Amino acid sequence: MTIADALLEIQLRLGLEAETEHEVLEEIRGHLEEAVAAAKARGLDEQQALSEAAAAFGMEQATAELRETHAGWGTLEGVAAAALPVTFALVLRWLIFAPGGTADAWRELLTRPTLTLIAAVAIAIPLLRFPRRRYALALWVFFWGLSLVTAVWPTIRW
Amino acid sequence: MDKMDQMRKGTTTLAILKLLIDAGEPMHGYQIARALEGRSQGSFQFKEGLIYPRLHQMEHDGLLRSEWEGERGSRRRKVYLPTADGKERLAEELKQWQSFILSMEHMLGLTG
Repeated sequence: MTIADALLEIQLRLGLEAETEHEVLEEIRGHLEEAVAAAKARGLDEQQALSEAAAAFGMEQATAELRETHAGWGTLEGVAAAALPVTFALVLRWLIFAPGGTADAWRELLTRPTLTLIAAVAIAIPLLRFPRRRYALALWVFFWGLSLVTAVWPTIRW
Repeated sequence: MDKMDQMRKGTTTLAILKLLIDAGEPMHGYQIARALEGRSQGSFQFKEGLIYPRLHQMEHDGLLRSEWEGERGSRRRKVYLPTADGKERLAEELKQWQSFILSMEHMLGLTG
């Protein structure tokens, strides 16, 4: 058994969003390295030191509590990050670029729900636990692009 | 959850905040776990890994903030520092703790 094996074992049980999982594992790696070094300094060999460090760490219990503690955090942050550009794009489309050039006609957009559906999917996708920062950035680019298209070609109907 | 688990969860936040404020410098998880074990003189033992869910929850609650020491791609260490809210929480909890101990001593007839 090596530290990498121990980390893999933890990773298999964690099931966190990728970015968070990477940081948690990096933190645990540092902990195990310190513990192994301390045990070796007391005269234990590599394997004994690692076994002792793993036992003191409490892999199973710590992993379960980490999973419980982080449950839903990444997802909620992802949804919140996605909601901002999506809301801007919808507000822009519904109020500024309403059919006929008037805000009064915004209700007509209810009969053309494509963008609304895309927006709903975009907000829901973080539930699939994509890396939230990259996903939010991609959404900003996509929805600002859509807003620009709507601004430049207001006659596009979709 | 057994009684020891409940007690650990309830008191670890207080112990971590006190330790970090007393230390006056950022500490990483391993240092915190070892220092807590040292302070309790072995009377309060828990698995070292259980420090991380507590640290992450405290950071999420705004009681601690963390920084990575070292460059990305090399060996890095995540260190923790108390926030202003954390210091405030410690002051409140210490006050409650002292009041609780005093009340218990009175109730048990341990005071002169």
